[in-house]
Order: sequence, then structure tokens, then C-alpha cells
Amino acid sequence: MARDQMTPMERLTAYSKGQMIDRLPCVPIIGNTSARVIGVKVSDFRGNGKLIAKAHIESYKLFKYDIIRIFTDLYVQAEAMGAKVFYPDDETAYLEAPAIDHISKIDSIEPANPYKDGNLPHHLEAMKIAVETVGKEVPVTGAITCAFTNASFLIGAEKLARLMLTDPEKVHKLCEVSLETNLRYAKAIIDAGCTPSLTDAMSSSSVISPKQFKEFSYPYLKRLIEYIHSRGKSVTLHICGKTNKIWELMVEAGADCISIDNDADLFEAKNKVGHKVRLMGNIKPSEVMLEGTVRDVKKAVFQCVRQAYDNPKGYIVASGCSLPTETPFQNIHAMMDTVREIGYPLNEDTLNYMIYKGHFYSQDDSYYADYI
Amino acid sequence: MSENQLFKKLSDAVVNMEEEETVILANEVVLNHYDAYKAIDQGLADGMKRAGKLFEEEEYFIPELLMCSDAMYAGLEVLKPHLKSDDIGKKHKIVIGVIKGDTHDIGKNLVKIMLEASGFEVVDLGRDVAPSDFVEKAKEVKAKIIALSTLMTTTMDGMGEVINILNQQNIRGDFKVMVGGGPISQSFADKIGADGYAANAAEAVRLAKRLVGGGD
Repeated sequence: MARDQMTPMERLTAYSKGQMIDRLPCVPIIGNTSARVIGVKVSDFRGNGKLIAKAHIESYKLFKYDIIRIFTDLYVQAEAMGAKVFYPDDETAYLEAPAIDHISKIDSIEPANPYKDGNLPHHLEAMKIAVETVGKEVPVTGAITCAFTNASFLIGAEKLARLMLTDPEKVHKLCEVSLETNLRYAKAIIDAGCTPSLTDAMSSSSVISPKQFKEFSYPYLKRLIEYIHSRGKSVTLHICGKTNKIWELMVEAGADCISIDNDADLFEAKNKVGHKVRLMGNIKPSEVMLEGTVRDVKKAVFQCVRQAYDNPKGYIVASGCSLPTETPFQNIHAMMDTVREIGYPLNEDTLNYMIYKGHFYSQDDSYYADYI
Repeated sequence: MSENQLFKKLSDAVVNMEEEETVILANEVVLNHYDAYKAIDQGLADGMKRAGKLFEEEEYFIPELLMCSDAMYAGLEVLKPHLKSDDIGKKHKIVIGVIKGDTHDIGKNLVKIMLEASGFEVVDLGRDVAPSDFVEKAKEVKAKIIALSTLMTTTMDGMGEVINILNQQNIRGDFKVMVGGGPISQSFADKIGADGYAANAAEAVRLAKRLVGGGD
């Protein structure tokens, strides 16, 4: 089996400069799976930055992926602004109740103080420890739930959806206060030596229209990204579900890399926006990574690489979204090993040769069977 | 206004997200002693189906669909008391809910809205529902279908658990089980032995109709 010849930091730096690398960067987006790596319960992460850091550092050391992303759930900022989050014993936390039950209480919502409110200080501590421990060899990022999605946790997703049509000013007000929290948190993350990593689930075209995205989400993403850029950091923006009609706007908002999930098409993304933005994605987190076999993973990685390896602004092999907590380690290893096996540099001939030699399968197995 | 004209206007009011207009028109149905069942079917439900179609065509998104459903339900409130008793009880029943551990319910609510607009009677257990509660409720109301939703991978196993309970009680044949939600796929549905998988609310309606033996 091919071994890594470079650290993630060396690899990503060289890749961005167009220099030689040993393999494509690869990021199985690990969140609470890290609890399994060190054998603790997911709820042990609550209020324990040291433990979150330990889990992510050990997880990185085990799999050797290219970016560490400190992430437990989407609600950390909303909780710090008054939303109620439920922490099951050993599963990912979820939103129990939004910060306000009626829009008339909107003025009671204040931006969070990242050094004081909710679990934000613990997440910052985790980021700081991770950067101090392994930050020289691997980029450490901290997840930020962007303004529009965070706003949906403040009032509730359905209420926010209705308000978009009945009282858009209130939606902007909720986004504005969320953005203020985003900006303060981003500042704290960068001050901790870490890079913000943006996620905005509700901005998906599976939920709101591209027009609504432009009105209610885009302006806040743009302002957040402008700030992060002003601090000299590049930005990865993840939006789940359907996104093809908002890729252009994600790029215009300033994203340097867009992370897309399996409701979007890597090949299409490459052709539409690949000359402007790096791509990341989109192995199915649940169907392939959680439920699939090693063979399924290998096949999926090869297909993704085939679709996007020649993306003009670069490509990072990644899962389409955060991996489910119980994703088998062997599938994560298989994802990394497949990228190592494929190697670099790549072109159509080398990829076809891999299929011909039987190392990989083409889109369907019958095609491959013709060769043996 | 003739009966048909009024039903058409009701349908338009729903698809145009006009809740107040829908209520006014529904009251007009009542005042004119027009058939409430037909007004629901050819007016409100028809408008909701048109909204569902616009959703599939990506003209409408979740906010619009929710506003249409608000109009539909407001009209239903007016018309329901005027249904004749033989109109009630001839619908197939579906028990629906989001599996325990998950509190995302927009997807489930959309499926419920579209099923109701398509003539099913839907018993909504809400979110964070224990597998055994689905089974107990389905037995109690003599449902034809149990519809399970989840958005989180952590709760997918609960879907298989519902089917296990049905098997243990030897009543698996009494109910059709349909599943859906972000992380769910056809292969997952097959693996747990569900009767069907739907990727979105419109597909869920077609699936439910197929499962109870009716065409689309």
C-alpha cells in the first residue's frame, strides 16, 4: 500500500502552488466519529474542549486526513444565543427549542460572546489545543454555522420560512444578529490560530429558492467571508442538498473552496464553476461511508476522482457532508487508502489504465468485466 | 358563482398562498350549501397538488409550500364541520412521524400535507417518536401505512426497529411501511425490509397510493 510522503500542510501548500504532490488531498469530514476513536461518549464532549481536541487529534493521527475540523453539531452559536439544545447520551446533539417562540420577542436576542456564552469557549479551547499540538503539520479549522441557518435555529425553521414571505425585514434582523455572532466567533477562531470553516445547511436549494438565497443568505455569507479574507485566511463553504443553481453565488460571496454533497454533481460543478473555485466532495456519507462495504467506498472514491481530479482550481476528495458518528473505521481507512493508491499526477490515460488493470471499476462493473 | 367556479377559485387561492381569501371562499361554499367534500377535493386539495407540482418543478420551495398549506388548512377548518358522515371514514389511514432522536420535521410535515391533499387521513405522531409508538398507534387507528422519516443518520436504526416490532408481533402483513428522509436510500429501505422509499413529498404520495393498491 502506498504511504503518504508529505504532511497535509506540505501537500496542500504544494497543491495550491501547482507543485508536485504525492496524492490528492482527502477529507472524510469527521465530527462525532472522533468520539469513537478515543472511546468516549458523544455527550462527553459537552463543555470539554480538552476532550474534543484529544478526539480530533487522535482521529487525525489514525487516518491522516488533510484537514481537521472541530465540529460537534450545528447549534453551538444558536445555543450561545439562547436556543435549547438536547444532548442525548451518545448521539449528536439536536435542537430542542429555538431561542424565541414568537417573532415579537426578537429584540430579546443578543449576539453571543464567544469567550463566555454556551459551549463556544470550549470549542475555542479545542481549536487552540489542536493548533498547538498538530497545527504545524495539518490545517485546523473550526466550524461556523452561517447566519441564515443560525437564524432558523433562533426562531424555528418553519417560522423562518413563513417570515421570508410575510415579514422579510424580521428575517434580515435575525440574520443580522446571527452574522454579528458569526463575526465575533470567526475573530476568536482566527485569534486562536485556527481557520473558520463555513456551513450553511438551510441555504440549500432543497429548502429555499436561489432567489431567496440571494436575498436572505448571500449578503451575510459575503460579509462574513470578507472579514475572514481580511484576516488572510481562505474560506471553505459547505451547503448541503441541491446547490447547482447557487454555485455562482457561493463563488461570488467569496468562497475559495465549495464543499458539495451528493445531491449535487461534481462533474457539473467542475464545468460550471471549477475555473473559479476549488471543489470538495461528494462521497455519500450515509449510503456509502456508513452502510457500504470497503469495495463500495473504493468505487465511490474512484468515481469522484475521475469526475473532478482535473478541476482547474483543484479538488479535495471528501465526503458529501459530515460522516455519521458510527461510520466504520475500515471505510474511512479505505477512503484514504484509495486516494493513496490512485496517487498523483493523474490524467485520463492513467485512470483508464487503472481500470484496465482491474485496480478500479468504471461506472458499472459490466464494463470492467469486458476487460477480464 | 357556480359550484365549479368557486372550487376553481379555492384552488387558486391555495396555490397563490392567500390564506384569508381561502377562508372567505370556503365560507361562501358553506353559505351556498355546496358540497363540502367536493370543495375540499376539487378546491383546497387541488390547489395543494398544484403547489406540489410547482415544488417538483422548482418554482416553489419550502417557504411557498408552507404558505399554501396554511391556506389549505385554514379552508379545511371552515369546511370540515360540514362534511357528511359518509364522506368521513372512507379514507385510507396513514400513521406518520419522525423517528426518536430526531427533531427535524419539515420533511415529514411536507409529506403529511401532500398526503392529506391526496385524500389520505394522516395521523401525525410528531417528532422524536419511539418505534413502539408507531406500531401501537397504527394498530389503534387501523392504519394501512406506517410512514417513517428521519433526517439524521444516527436515528436510521429506529426505522428497522419498527419493522422488527411488527415482525415480533406477527403483524407485519397488516401494514405497509414507507421510509424517507435525507440519509435514507432505496438500498437502506430494502435492507431493513420496508415496503417502499420515497425521495420527496410528491414521490411519497405516489408510493402511498401504490401501497394501498390505487393508481396515481
